[in-house]
Amino acid sequence: MSQFFSNTAVRTILVTASWIPVAIFCLDHGFTIGSIHGRSMQPTFNPDSNKLCHDIVLLNRAAAITHKYKRGDVVTLYLPDDPDKIIAKRIIALEGDTIFTLPPYSEKCLRIPKGYCWVEGDDTFHSKDSNTFGPVPLGLIRSKVTFILWPFSRFGKVPHIEKPERVSVFLGDVNLLNIFDRRDF
Amino acid sequence: MRFYFRYVNPILRTVSTALRVICAVHITNEYFIEITQCMGPSMLPTFNVVGDFVALEHFSPRLRRLEIGDVIVCKSPTNPWRSVCKRIVGMPGDRICIDPTVIHRKFITGDNMSNSTDSRSYGPIPYALIGGKVFARVWPNPCWIKNGLITLEEN
Repeated sequence: MSQFFSNTAVRTILVTASWIPVAIFCLDHGFTIGSIHGRSMQPTFNPDSNKLCHDIVLLNRAAAITHKYKRGDVVTLYLPDDPDKIIAKRIIALEGDTIFTLPPYSEKCLRIPKGYCWVEGDDTFHSKDSNTFGPVPLGLIRSKVTFILWPFSRFGKVPHIEKPERVSVFLGDVNLLNIFDRRDF
Repeated sequence: MRFYFRYVNPILRTVSTALRVICAVHITNEYFIEITQCMGPSMLPTFNVVGDFVALEHFSPRLRRLEIGDVIVCKSPTNPWRSVCKRIVGMPGDRICIDPTVIHRKFITGDNMSNSTDSRSYGPIPYALIGGKVFARVWPNPCWIKNGLITLEEN
């Protein structure tokens, strides 16, 4: 047995294997890359100049540990009604804010409850977003999209776009928001 | 060079071993089996108020094998920092007597219906918030936690 473990090849394999959890940890809570499909985030991702290529982006998963997001951040999150799908959307409003919604949504304006946020695609007409499924819990957010890596011509930071004309920002204490005044969305 | 072999090398070795062990434990906790404390009055007949240690597994939620009556741990929709331990009462497509659940969302409640913040206040929760299924109580009084659903025979 001791001869088996003193074998150089076996030792190399074991030492490499012992680093696998570290690698998984770094991918889970550090940075990963992902590709963006679909046209819901045009013109930020997959603009028509791309032809049929998909954008490859850098995902910052460390940002999802603290759950601190700003209005205008692009994030990836689980689709609320399908855990197998992950979508990339822009955060428009955070908890407490009042948002003026767009057509498919039933109410004209809405106060976002505690722990929720409002996400929308940049191309509102081709996007399935909070206007169809309502505010989403912050716990569904997986990562923040920080950099466009490919195509190389558009390499750079993901632009930060806020929509102040549609959001009335909440300045009070979020902890005082009552979760029970949630209406059915 | 002698300084390196005498002091720096042992420290580096210890740090690298510690890093690998910590990551391995974390990955086990996140993907396989975890033991955690479950506090509060909301699950009263099943778990007590001061905090029971429960064991949960992460296979069933990943394989989509959850059923009505299973005790689960999920992220609270109102506070992403907190995890809550509840029982599944409704599955996608079911009709609950409060309101019908939306597709692919789970309806969860505590066992102590009179003192529990659950789906009755924040609505059905998305599947992706579910972290694990509780399968055993570790301490005190170790026992398996079984599916609590009782089917009534139709007459």
